[in-house]
Amino acid sequence: MTFDLGFIAQHLPEVIEAAGTTLMIWAAGAFCGLALGFLVALGRRYGPAPLAVLLGVIVELLRGTPFLVQLFLLYFGGPFIGLSLDPIPAGVLGLTCYAAAYYSEILRAGFDGVPAGHVEAAACVGFSGWQTIRRIILPEMAVLVMPALVNMTILLLKETAVLSIITVPELTMVTSAIGSESYAFVEALFLLALFYWVMVEICGHLGRFAELRLARTGLVAR
Amino acid sequence: MSWTLFLLLVKASGLTVAISAIAIVIGLTLGMVVSAGMLSPNLLLSMPSRVFVSFFRGVPLLVQLLLIYNLLPLLGLNVPSVVAAVAGLSLCTAAYQAENLRGGFLSVPRGVVEAADMAGFRPFQLFWRIRVPIAFKLTLPALVSEAIMILKSSSLVSVVGVVELTRMAQDLASSTYKPLDLYAAAGGLYLAINWLMAGLGRLLERRLRWGRA
Amino acid sequence: MIAAVSVTGLVKRFGQAEVLRGIDLEVPAGRVTCLIGPSGSGKSTLLRCLAFLEEATEGAILIGGEPLGFAVTPDGRRTRLPSGRIRAVRSQIGMVFQHFNLWPHMTALGNVSEALKTVRRLGRSEADDRAMAQLRKVGLQNRANLYPSQLSGGQQQRVAIARALALEPKIMLFDEPTSSLDPELTGEVLNVMRALAADGMTMVVVSHEIGFAASVGHQIAFLDHGQLLLRGTPQEVFRKPRHARLDQFLDTYLDRGAAMLL
Ligand SMILES: Nc1ncnc2c1ncn2[C@@H]1O[C@H](COP(=O)(O)OP(=O)(O)OP(=O)(O)O)[C@@H](O)[C@H]1O
Ligand SMILES: [Mg+2]
Repeated sequence: MTFDLGFIAQHLPEVIEAAGTTLMIWAAGAFCGLALGFLVALGRRYGPAPLAVLLGVIVELLRGTPFLVQLFLLYFGGPFIGLSLDPIPAGVLGLTCYAAAYYSEILRAGFDGVPAGHVEAAACVGFSGWQTIRRIILPEMAVLVMPALVNMTILLLKETAVLSIITVPELTMVTSAIGSESYAFVEALFLLALFYWVMVEICGHLGRFAELRLARTGLVAR
Repeated sequence: MSWTLFLLLVKASGLTVAISAIAIVIGLTLGMVVSAGMLSPNLLLSMPSRVFVSFFRGVPLLVQLLLIYNLLPLLGLNVPSVVAAVAGLSLCTAAYQAENLRGGFLSVPRGVVEAADMAGFRPFQLFWRIRVPIAFKLTLPALVSEAIMILKSSSLVSVVGVVELTRMAQDLASSTYKPLDLYAAAGGLYLAINWLMAGLGRLLERRLRWGRA
Repeated sequence: MIAAVSVTGLVKRFGQAEVLRGIDLEVPAGRVTCLIGPSGSGKSTLLRCLAFLEEATEGAILIGGEPLGFAVTPDGRRTRLPSGRIRAVRSQIGMVFQHFNLWPHMTALGNVSEALKTVRRLGRSEADDRAMAQLRKVGLQNRANLYPSQLSGGQQQRVAIARALALEPKIMLFDEPTSSLDPELTGEVLNVMRALAADGMTMVVVSHEIGFAASVGHQIAFLDHGQLLLRGTPQEVFRKPRHARLDQFLDTYLDRGAAMLL
């Protein structure tokens, strides 16, 4: 095997564009997923019982099945119920739902981790429900759930590679396509692996740095 | 959806279970060795172990699978795609299990190890009779969720042509034009296997309660 | 007569901190030696050096005349002994810890019989018989199949003593064996230790139970800032007028009532 990376230079613009797509989809999935996950966690924790049960079932379904099967269902099954989406919107929607399920579980554990006494104390000094959530529960929770959120967000970056299977033109799909037409498939895969590895390591370090900063604010009781 | 289709899916999920189970066993064993390596004071052991864990946790499983599947023939190993698939899953889960077990080994109380040391245990006896059972029990919940993770990730081996549950659903969906039914059924089967594994995990946890209520 | 344990010029440093500063101590066979001293004076460290859980920085330890861990050449240099010889010498020593350190995944019987099986290579039934006999000695034969988490602290400590005794050590080391027990449970453990002493076991006991030390100990050693300040029979050590540091220690570490009794 000759390890020739010349092919990549010829296709650099395409690769950079695809990397941009990966990062955009990742950011969109993480952001929307976190927002949706927060609403789901709120609904399950403080919503009426039927809503809580329904959300619980949906979360269980999403967490219990492979992401790939969810994508197939959405992308190939969607048109049969009037939901015809292009690959990118389908990918973002799929990633968002998947992420929301996991984020909501993390956030729910966070809600449960805030000592009941603190919430009662807030009620005693006359905070409204929303004020309590915003001023007491959220800040305390943030510290508790930060490591798990960072982990999940990094995991999400890796999950974007799966989107290549439903032909989302992200990095994995574009790079392997270029690789196979240049007869340099393995080289392309190596570069791809390297990209993800470096990204994940960088994000991991940034995440730990953020956790440390958060810990230093004194919010952490340790 | 007809019974015949569903039975085909059930049969294919047998392969999914088999692939996952083998990967879990290999991954756990390899993970144990790697985690011991990570904790070794010897840099020649700990550095490669750390790089191994970092790499296989840092690269998407899909990319790993494609890499292994395409790399093996170049190295002169013409193995069936199932083998490449199991190898990929095993390596990936080994990295996660190693990281879990590392935490477990670090949490084995020092005094318990010293007591075994005083009783004259040799290092490998101490490892297998004392450290491993305690670390295993401490990390069991994480090990079980990682096992369930691998079950779900095994759907990715469909891309290297292994006809397991997801690939079977995919093939049937394109020939019958009933993707909704087939993928929903496949999802249901994954859920069922998933619950089965979680149940097994709880059973194991109950067996390892060691007298605690 | 050869001392069961003989320590000469023992120094232990953790980095910069010198925790033991030249300890000389003889532990006579068949007798109980009690180590007392303020917190941080180095009692545990000394005991752990005797068990080779901690390697001394300088000095020599002889167990029944055999060097432990290091051989000292006449010109004062130390060489580490091969691990087989270290293991052989250590097998004469049993240790009981403050926090019991039972193996949580084994029953009481399993804790006592485990080393008989894996280390001494006894068959299962013989190992279990011997373990059962040890449990009977500490009064726990009817708790044999319970896990540590199902036993009280006092019972756990008695299992730990049985576990050490099962290997038939010549010397038993105890590091504050009753310090993490509720007061009403210390008695049962001290009674087991008393019986062991009456049987003629060589014991080194680190304890804040001054009453136990005064009544059961044959030799009292008072450690302060890593140095052995006093050593002698209880009568000699506790007799008034006392060494000023010991007086101060007894004053702060005991309630006045107990101090007056001595
Ligand atoms: N592994 C270690 N590393 C660094 N310093 C240590 C270590 N072990 C003990 N020390 C220090 O050595 C000193 C003596 O500790 P040691 O545990 O022997 O005291 P002690 O007399 O047993 O006290 P206590 O009555 O509280 O048990 C202490 O200052 C302690 O901080
Ligand atoms: Mg101590």
